[in-house]
Amino acid sequence: MKKTCLATMVAVALCSVAAQAEVNINGFASIKAGKASSGDALYGYTDEIDFKNESLFAVQFQSDLGEKLSVTAQLMARGNNDFDAEFEWAFLTYQLDDAWRLNAGRLRTPFYKYSDFRDVGYAYDWLRTPQSVYNLGFDTIEGVSLYHSGSISDMQSNIQLVFGAYDGEVTLQGTKAPAQINNILGASWELSQDWLSVRVAYLVGKVTVDAPVFNPLFGALNGAGLNSITKAIDFDEDDGSFFGLGLNYDRNDWLMVAEYTHVKVKDTFYANQDSYYVSLGHRFDSLTPYISYEKDEDDAKPEIYAGLPANFPLLLPIASIVMGQEFENTSWNLGMRYDFHPAAAFKVELTSSENNMTNQKDSLIAVGVDLVF
Amino acid sequence: MNWFKAITLTTAITASSAMAEVAVIVHPSNAATVDQAEITRLFTGRGTAFSNGSKATPLNLAESAAARGEFDSKVLSKSSSQMKAYWSKLVFTGKGTPPKELSSDAEMKAAVAADATAIGYIDATAVDGTVKVLAKF
Repeated sequence: MKKTCLATMVAVALCSVAAQAEVNINGFASIKAGKASSGDALYGYTDEIDFKNESLFAVQFQSDLGEKLSVTAQLMARGNNDFDAEFEWAFLTYQLDDAWRLNAGRLRTPFYKYSDFRDVGYAYDWLRTPQSVYNLGFDTIEGVSLYHSGSISDMQSNIQLVFGAYDGEVTLQGTKAPAQINNILGASWELSQDWLSVRVAYLVGKVTVDAPVFNPLFGALNGAGLNSITKAIDFDEDDGSFFGLGLNYDRNDWLMVAEYTHVKVKDTFYANQDSYYVSLGHRFDSLTPYISYEKDEDDAKPEIYAGLPANFPLLLPIASIVMGQEFENTSWNLGMRYDFHPAAAFKVELTSSENNMTNQKDSLIAVGVDLVF
Repeated sequence: MNWFKAITLTTAITASSAMAEVAVIVHPSNAATVDQAEITRLFTGRGTAFSNGSKATPLNLAESAAARGEFDSKVLSKSSSQMKAYWSKLVFTGKGTPPKELSSDAEMKAAVAADATAIGYIDATAVDGTVKVLAKF
């Protein structure tokens, strides 16, 4: 509710200035269709062809108010949300000087290299960002962000500091649950020169997730005097941290991108997650074929219940909740971008994903057009 | 046979367009000097001033203008699609606005001749006394 309020305020501000200042309107869209192999399911697709799951439309309004102040709002309608339009971004920008810029409002959390523009498919070659890494399930933050851009000898340096909070949903064991992440504090630093760039990001926050499904268990544990086990499982202002490292190489039409991320939330049953991907492509004029490999490895925390006696009646449900977090998955993607039009790119991507715990394999083909206007 | 013709034609077009020179132009009163790295900086939004400290306003040609593709590939070493992808990263994250676009060499000349901070480019054959040429590519 708070978020909607903030977004609405920025939008109203934007409309009221529209009368006096010039408003720049830009947009982007993706129309994608996909189908998993018979009996398979992946990334929201089933074995029935689907045009809605990854399609989206967005319009951005940006207005320069003069005196170094500008306001931006981005309205996005996602197919997997029935094309209900929502404010994905809504912020004020104050350009302190040539090097420093302050944004305040609803922003994209700078977790990943492609976080800022992951919805703008036209901006990258893949059909989608690698899902083993881009899987935190929440993208935005309400707060402030300070950017610094400068140069160190012949390298370009971009630093972003962010402070704020997230109030929404997170995906926990495949289901969405209301969550708050407070006191999010983070920094990212990207150093780049002509053909190489390196990015590092680190963020921390206090994570609270409300999952009523666990309440009977917690009640029983607390009744047995085992509040410490409850504390080790639940999300109650617990310390979460995110570390990300990214590398980008683009030289002589060879393209290499790799990212590694590590996510953990202390004193919760949330597994420690390590993920990475490596992608290699080559630009042949307007055709860019690529191949990528992804891995997601989540280590459960059996130490949570290690001290409990073997005949403890709640041992089994606790063990199944904790160990249910154990996960290992690898994927291969083979795809191509084709710049068939000055403002649009056609893409096709084949994905084969294997759950290494169950040896379940799922494959998917998706095609689509990404455009900007 | 058709393929052969198409390839020959493409090669001929590529060869002829490779001959076209692009002239980077400024207002006649502008005393700044620029090299390719600095032009790239200005046209990718990473700089807002000439090396002598005076304000720079880069002006782009529209994609329909022939010199645009030449400028993107020769000076910025990118295709026009790559430049569009580059700018979409900045525009949709509130980090930058691409240079204003003008639709023809004539419009570009008029805009540069009228603005002491402007830096633009046109087909070298279109240059006249209203603008000053800083570099040719």
